[in-house]
Amino acid sequence: MRRLLNGILPPVIVLIATIIIAEVLIRALGIAEYLLPRPTAVFKVFHEQYPDLLRSLWTTAEAALIGFGCSAVFGLLIALFLSTSRLVQRAFYPYTVFFQTVPVVAIAPLLVIWFDAGLKAVAICAFIVSVFPVIANSLAGLLSTEPALRDMFRLYGAGWWATMWKLKLPSALPNIVTGLRIAAGLAVIGTIVGEFVAGVLDVNPGLGIKVIEAKKYGQTDVVFAAVLTASLLGLLMLAAVNFLGWLLLRRWHASEQG
Amino acid sequence: MRMSKWVIVAMLALMPAVASAQNKKVTFALNWVPEPEFGGIYEAQRGGAFAKHGVEVSIQPGGAGAPTWQLVASGKADFAVASADEVVIARSRGADVVAVFTIYQTCPQGIMVHASRGLKSIKEVFDPGGGTIAMEVGLPYGKFLQQKFGFDKVKRVSYDGGIGNFLADKMFSQQCFVFSEPLAAKKAGADPQTFLVADAGYNPYTGVIIVSRKTLRDDAKTVSAVVAGLTEGWGNYLTDPKPANEMMGKLNKTMVAETFAAAAEAQKPLIESDDTKANRLGWMTLQRWQELCKQLVDLKVVEKSPAAEECFKNPEKP
Repeated sequence: MRRLLNGILPPVIVLIATIIIAEVLIRALGIAEYLLPRPTAVFKVFHEQYPDLLRSLWTTAEAALIGFGCSAVFGLLIALFLSTSRLVQRAFYPYTVFFQTVPVVAIAPLLVIWFDAGLKAVAICAFIVSVFPVIANSLAGLLSTEPALRDMFRLYGAGWWATMWKLKLPSALPNIVTGLRIAAGLAVIGTIVGEFVAGVLDVNPGLGIKVIEAKKYGQTDVVFAAVLTASLLGLLMLAAVNFLGWLLLRRWHASEQG
Repeated sequence: MRMSKWVIVAMLALMPAVASAQNKKVTFALNWVPEPEFGGIYEAQRGGAFAKHGVEVSIQPGGAGAPTWQLVASGKADFAVASADEVVIARSRGADVVAVFTIYQTCPQGIMVHASRGLKSIKEVFDPGGGTIAMEVGLPYGKFLQQKFGFDKVKRVSYDGGIGNFLADKMFSQQCFVFSEPLAAKKAGADPQTFLVADAGYNPYTGVIIVSRKTLRDDAKTVSAVVAGLTEGWGNYLTDPKPANEMMGKLNKTMVAETFAAAAEAQKPLIESDDTKANRLGWMTLQRWQELCKQLVDLKVVEKSPAAEECFKNPEKP
């Protein structure tokens, strides 16, 4: 209990202090609502519009989770493939960088042409934005197996599959988890940006669409509420990845012990 | 000899300072890149209409979604281009901005469809509907169309600013400025047909020039001077758009000269009306503002309407 308090209390105090200071400053300086809303105005939006925000959150979460899931699976598979030989790596690795450098806003309109606007196109945006960190980190992990252990596996005549399953993958796990952590936040960003261009404007618009609409109507408080909801989604996904990492690593890796 | 050279250099350096000491400097924020929709503004600068009335205008092009009313309300720009519905929204959010000129009497927003579909009216785009329609999120006229015709028979997606989807799909329709996207689509070999949203009953003044109440109160002379310059500039642009088009063509290289000319021609009927003939270009009426305020409340774009009289002012002649 005490440990929990020690963990939770400091950030909560910082949060409350920040909110109070922001509220007081904005009131004292007389900053217009449409430029920067008071925290209490944003709370009011949460209070009054939470059913709407929750629906938007779900639409966005669906796309973000699909994109993130694809990043996890395909990122890891690509990294496994690249780790098989130096030649393969040299031939293909440069092209995976494409995913990191592609301006998703620019190709989202094409995704709409190819896949139609909606969940599929938005999830692909999330995937494109979030897959590279998974590839890069997983590959780094797969390539940095301890040489002594690798030699030992070879001495005992372990096959490719056994070496991969019993040695390389486990020792790459901390890196893979790091890649997933970065990808979790990026997937949310990719989804919001994807929604700007490829979202469908039906009864449950995603948070990205909510942001644009509120901005058009000068409702800065709603913009902030939607943005905070999106970061909450990112936080939840990050927490889930952290939990997964803890499950996988707590028994043997220094990063999850102590 | 050496001395006189320096005197000349000093005089040259001082000249702009002298000129600007006479002319009041103001900034003018656009909500898009230099295109014929701003032709009269550039013409007023180029042809000296602004200078004649004693103002030196620095025109600042913007991008899509440039927050022009926020710029004016917070004093970062003196004048800016916005739309009448934005003025009502801004005022309802407590930003004291006022419209003093309108470029378009008829709102140029429309829906572009493929002529091959044989649609007779804007209603048929939504009912019987079918296909996909691309529209920017949060457009009041989008809400208007939704309320009037319903969007359940057509798939609605975000507008990406291009016409690629339109060219690729015969059942695709999209929002447009009637003198912009349709010209591009035609050039790309498509068969665009357009319906004005104004004909369906939503017709806010568009391309309105806004100032803050403070500027209007403290510096009415400058506002009158800019509006007089705009009136002359637009008058000249309607007669001969070529010089200003050339000037804008240098600033906006993505649009070719023939498109500039075609757009300038196509927008003419939207700029002139019975009101402009009876008064002057850019003239606005209380009745139109009242109608818009009422519509925006009905559409739930604003909760409470600001007073229509305070949304605009037709400045006195300087």
